[in-house]
Amino acid sequence: MKRQLKSYFYGGIHPSDGTDKLLSNQTPIKYYVPKRIEISMMQSIGHVSKCIVDIGDRVTLGQLIGIPQEFGTANIHASVPGIILDIIKVDDEHDGVYDVVVIETDNNFDINELYHNKDYSKQLKDISSYSRETLISSMKDGGIIGMGGAGFPTHIKYETNKTIDTVLINAAECEPYLTCDHRIMLEFPFEIINGVNLMIKAANANKATICLEDNKADAAKKLQEILENSNLPIKVKLLATRYPQGGERQLIQAVIKKEIPIGKLPAELGVIVSNVATAKALADMTFNETPLITRCITITGFVNKPSNYMVPIGTLLNDLISESGGISIDGDNKIIHGGPMTGTCIASNSNGNGLIGGVLKISSGIVVLGDEEIIESPCIRCGRCERVCPAGLAPFKIDFAAIENDLSLCDKLYATECISCGACSYVCPARRELAWRITIAKNEIFNQRHKNGGK
Amino acid sequence: MINNIEKTPNISPHLKTNKTSKNIMVDVIIALIPVFIGSIYFFGTRSILIVFSAVFTCVLSEYIWQKASKKQITINDYSAVVTGLLIAFNMPVQTSIWTIVIASIFSIIVTKQFFGGIGGNFANPALVGRAIIMLLWPAQVAKYVTTYHASVDAVSSATILSLLKNGNDFSQFTKWDMFIGNIPGAIGETSVILLVIGFLYLSYRKIVNPVVTGVYLLTVVLITFVFGPQGLFTGDYLTHLLSGGLMIAACYMITDYASFAPRIRVTLAVIAGILTAGIRLWGIYPEGACFAILITNCLAGLVDRIIKPHIYGMKLKRDKV
Repeated sequence: MKRQLKSYFYGGIHPSDGTDKLLSNQTPIKYYVPKRIEISMMQSIGHVSKCIVDIGDRVTLGQLIGIPQEFGTANIHASVPGIILDIIKVDDEHDGVYDVVVIETDNNFDINELYHNKDYSKQLKDISSYSRETLISSMKDGGIIGMGGAGFPTHIKYETNKTIDTVLINAAECEPYLTCDHRIMLEFPFEIINGVNLMIKAANANKATICLEDNKADAAKKLQEILENSNLPIKVKLLATRYPQGGERQLIQAVIKKEIPIGKLPAELGVIVSNVATAKALADMTFNETPLITRCITITGFVNKPSNYMVPIGTLLNDLISESGGISIDGDNKIIHGGPMTGTCIASNSNGNGLIGGVLKISSGIVVLGDEEIIESPCIRCGRCERVCPAGLAPFKIDFAAIENDLSLCDKLYATECISCGACSYVCPARRELAWRITIAKNEIFNQRHKNGGK
Repeated sequence: MINNIEKTPNISPHLKTNKTSKNIMVDVIIALIPVFIGSIYFFGTRSILIVFSAVFTCVLSEYIWQKASKKQITINDYSAVVTGLLIAFNMPVQTSIWTIVIASIFSIIVTKQFFGGIGGNFANPALVGRAIIMLLWPAQVAKYVTTYHASVDAVSSATILSLLKNGNDFSQFTKWDMFIGNIPGAIGETSVILLVIGFLYLSYRKIVNPVVTGVYLLTVVLITFVFGPQGLFTGDYLTHLLSGGLMIAACYMITDYASFAPRIRVTLAVIAGILTAGIRLWGIYPEGACFAILITNCLAGLVDRIIKPHIYGMKLKRDKV
């Protein structure tokens, strides 16, 4: 295989030495069915679907339980068959009001039957019988959303009226510690390639490129072997490992060597970026009529048995932590939902039992890290943040402006172009929380623009 | 965000590099240790006194200022120690201690703290300290002596650059002497080899950008070579390279974080190189690095406005309009 390692997105960092991924990247995916699940009607941040079932109802596997009620939301399905025990109303000051459906799982449910011995997991399927319209509507029906973290409904992305040339499959998984995408590529290669093939059709594109970082060379090889004996217009591209390679704009810059103009979508360049897990979800929906009800999640960091799990959406995080052998660090810890660079801290100094909530469609991992107190010191203007910023910003200047509450200066310094990757905060020797303050300033600017009736 | 999770202080990223401001300053201090040892070897134990008084005054004045103005005490980051070391290394061994104390106080209080403390200074504090002495008490920093290891006993002597400037003979100093530092000069600036060793360490630790230093040195070498005393392309660039404060400026002054804004460093290095060579060749001072870098510091704001950063997605936007 031709190795093309040069990638040309600006800036970037190497937040790890690669050992963090070794914790779990050789551990095969385990199947786990919990006794009880809690499916949130808010599957991506700030987007709430409407619950359409009642307490006491019996739901079958894959039954529709939530429907979209606003732009940016998608269908939600029962991820296990069982009885609805409760519907919890959550009123969260940050994220609004939404329901959480609690389901008790039927005893005889076996998750293995979902995926095993299917023809699309052993061979490449002929997809000529599917049209673009049927694929987009099955994305919609299947409740498929971007599984990389943003959680934007996939069908809206593919409904674009722009001419699409390339579908980029984002398998960079540049966040340290996470290995779920790596594992599904190793264990579900046929599903993924079938799914990518469907995505080409759904986007009416000419070709697709599966983009991986070179720390996943084994997965690339596996995909390449399958593709060699086919005449599909799908390429596998290895990129040099660097964070934030998996950022949509950075991935496009690294692979297509073009920048998306400010304020535009990738479709402007004839590109759609989809996560590799989303490709598998589309294949499951199309060939197996299984909506997006399971996902692979990595439980790693300071747990006794770091592992990857294939679990129903809504599996309790507590169960997953105890399934992984519990927390193994004695000192202060924090539990992070998502990757350590962009994820959210959901608990600190927990013994692993206090977690509330379940796996979301966007949950790529739960990472347990040691906690230390960060004391900010004055900026020494070393310029490291400016050098690593993938958007080309000067984070330290925006930081000063944000502290002074000078939003118009933040705007002039292009704070709105920040992608909140956190590279600046990572490298800062003065330990300043640059990304955090810039993100606040950015959101504040957007709010003001919104208020003033702008875009 | 996950359901009704308890809110915790939630600031991503949750990973941070273990390289802190303090680590950086400690690395600079480590890099300067060979120079310090060299200064004792070449100029005797009075070097210790000079270094100690400069460092002590710098740290103390930073502490007193921050205490008095009720600011966060930052002497723990060792940046004042680095400033003190650089001030001391820029002074000849015969300089009186009160001069060094004044230079140190001026550097820390006026150049650093008046402009907002670490990172806020517009110019290199150590160079401002030296410049103020050069302007107010020029005699104090003109008392150069030969080293302990010269062929003659320690006697007062002009620096090579002033001999060169006045067209005098300096053949008693070989290029090797200049390289190892066996020449008259300020205590820390004479030994090219020791400065370079420290600099290589800093480059290895990725604390300084060797490109900037390279560009600066190349500019000086090119100009001093082209505009030689006997016409074009006859300059004694090697003497210019190996003597005077060029090396310490290139290794430790021009790489100073605050005074050379990151994005425009290379451009500023070229400007500083032109100015250094210009002052040495055509100015009244034999030595140009100090004033050249200070002038360049003042130009940084202008250059920053001229050279615009490239924001992701900007260029295409401009092309379209």
